[in-house]
Amino acid sequence: MAFKVGLDLGSTAIKAVIVDGDRVAWQGTRATAPGQEAVAEGLLDEGLSALGARRGEISGIASTGYGKKLYASADRHIDEITSNAAGAFILSGGSARTVINVGGQDLKILTLDDSGGVVDFKMNDKCAAGTGRFFELAARILDTPLGDFAKLCLDSEEEVEINSTCVVFAESEMVSLLARGVKKEDIIRALHCSVARRVSGLAGRLSPDGRVYLDGGPAQNGGLASALEDELMTEINVLEAPQFTVAYGAAMSLGA
Amino acid sequence: MVKRARKISAKTSERARSEVRKSLEALAARDDRSADFDYFMDLYGAVQTPEAVSERTGRPVVSLLCIQAPIELIHAAGFHPHKVVSGSQAMANMALQGLPALTCPMLRAVTGAAAAASDGTPGTRRWVLPTTCDWVVKFPEMLESSGAGSIRPSLHWMELPHLKDGDSGQARWLEEVFGLKKFLEGCGGKISRASLDASIRIYRDAWRALTRLAMMRQEGRIAAVWFALIAGAFFLDSPERWTKAALSVNPPPGGARSDERAHVFLAGSPIFFPNFKLLDLLEDSGVSIAADDLCSGERIFPGGVTYRDSSEFGMMSALAQRYHQGCLCPTFIDNDRRINNILSRRMASDFQGVVFHVLKGCHPYDLESLSVEAPLKERGLKFLRLETDYAAEDSQNLRTRIEAFRGTLSRR
Repeated sequence: MAFKVGLDLGSTAIKAVIVDGDRVAWQGTRATAPGQEAVAEGLLDEGLSALGARRGEISGIASTGYGKKLYASADRHIDEITSNAAGAFILSGGSARTVINVGGQDLKILTLDDSGGVVDFKMNDKCAAGTGRFFELAARILDTPLGDFAKLCLDSEEEVEINSTCVVFAESEMVSLLARGVKKEDIIRALHCSVARRVSGLAGRLSPDGRVYLDGGPAQNGGLASALEDELMTEINVLEAPQFTVAYGAAMSLGA
Repeated sequence: MVKRARKISAKTSERARSEVRKSLEALAARDDRSADFDYFMDLYGAVQTPEAVSERTGRPVVSLLCIQAPIELIHAAGFHPHKVVSGSQAMANMALQGLPALTCPMLRAVTGAAAAASDGTPGTRRWVLPTTCDWVVKFPEMLESSGAGSIRPSLHWMELPHLKDGDSGQARWLEEVFGLKKFLEGCGGKISRASLDASIRIYRDAWRALTRLAMMRQEGRIAAVWFALIAGAFFLDSPERWTKAALSVNPPPGGARSDERAHVFLAGSPIFFPNFKLLDLLEDSGVSIAADDLCSGERIFPGGVTYRDSSEFGMMSALAQRYHQGCLCPTFIDNDRRINNILSRRMASDFQGVVFHVLKGCHPYDLESLSVEAPLKERGLKFLRLETDYAAEDSQNLRTRIEAFRGTLSRR
């Protein structure tokens, strides 16, 4: 059997996807840490072990993400925007025309053509406002696991506003709201709305046409998709494992 | 307190020198380096104070910040037009203490360099500042706020009419150009019909040399970094010597453009040595610059001046018209020429997209990036806006965008 491997060496997590044909055979993630190549190797070994496969069965490895060049032995280094487009397009059955990616340190909005190629894109600059880091910070301040955000968001009763998506200023806003006795549920909802506004602002004149997908780690949080639907006034679809889309796209870039 | 300030200045100056050293070393290590580039590299390695430039050129220096004041007139009066620019992150950081965070990085770096070199007393050199953007208008205040002393005693403002179309703006600009002549004469300069004619010819030759280099870059025979280095050195020596050296540049062996590279037009804010971050990232990502409209690149001045009326008034009018009508600076209200220029250049070149560089804090270019994006896309060009400053921390972010953009170009 010949497996293709996609490694997404992101700013907060390293994701690996082992692909058989175009089917995801295994996917896993580990937190980004110093020595990213070794972390990626460990993750790959874990996947191969789970599949009962050997290194010799790998036909090619593509690396993507900020740390893509750190995985020097990859057969291909591919940028995460192109990988993201390819992954979301294939996994959506060819229906994705707009992809909103919320990564660990960046936000991207991609428009795709009818073969999954990137037509245009917007990406935040060096500011990490409204990205995965922002949610991580919120989870710490609110002492609430990120996995609970979607459920808690639904219990929100009062509308409050968080005006900043800056990871520095939002902290003081959240602390002030907590001090005023505002419920966590309301703060979480406000966080989602705040990020949705940031995405909308980034999109600018890049209107979300066609079928819109949200991916990246924070997309697992259903509250964000819901807030984006409100802000962008369009249906937002989320793939089954949205944090692996980019790694999958990298693997698929290796061809048959 | 004074002792501490001196230590900071000394440390910043050393950091800036280190930036220059490292950039020159990186250029020297390139495979496509040729001995033809040594003259220009040596200019950057030399001291850049007005006194040093004056000694090199054999003329007193008139300091400029941009290309709006007619340099032919300054040269004709016996002075050397010295455009004071800097791409130094160390100097930009130095000035940050006394300036708003979103100040134009170039003017921040110039202010930082002035503060590091100044003892706080007013400078004696001559300055000519056309009122192009708000940052330039505030430049004297920036210097004073940063402890660099005042340039006001020797400063001449040229009030720039921001409407190009229509006779009124052109007539007022002509008055400003005559005002500059008067200022230069007041500084001891002597302008005759013959000296003006000679000066115009000297800069026309320089323009031809620059155009030749631009063509070599367009054909992929010299890399964009070399073109930027040569263009940026224009104000560091006499125009005659620069022209001679520029005309001597031959394509380095192996400098031919690979067909595998994507070709783009580079528009927007200027790029100054030693900060070639964007040029390096484009090159590393497989993107070649076929042409540009940067005032640090193909627009180091607005072009060769021609005239039919060879009287002094005729030449002054030709100069005024060229510098007003021919300028693509986004501070002008009616600037459709930028779009037309890009589209006409496309007829001669084969670029597939436009990379629009916005220097963070350069609001006119930031706004103009919005107005040029849609018309260029409508005509089938891909468009990438990159906002950055002199810091290296966003290199990976920029690289991701450039690589993805390159992918969209090859899909055509």
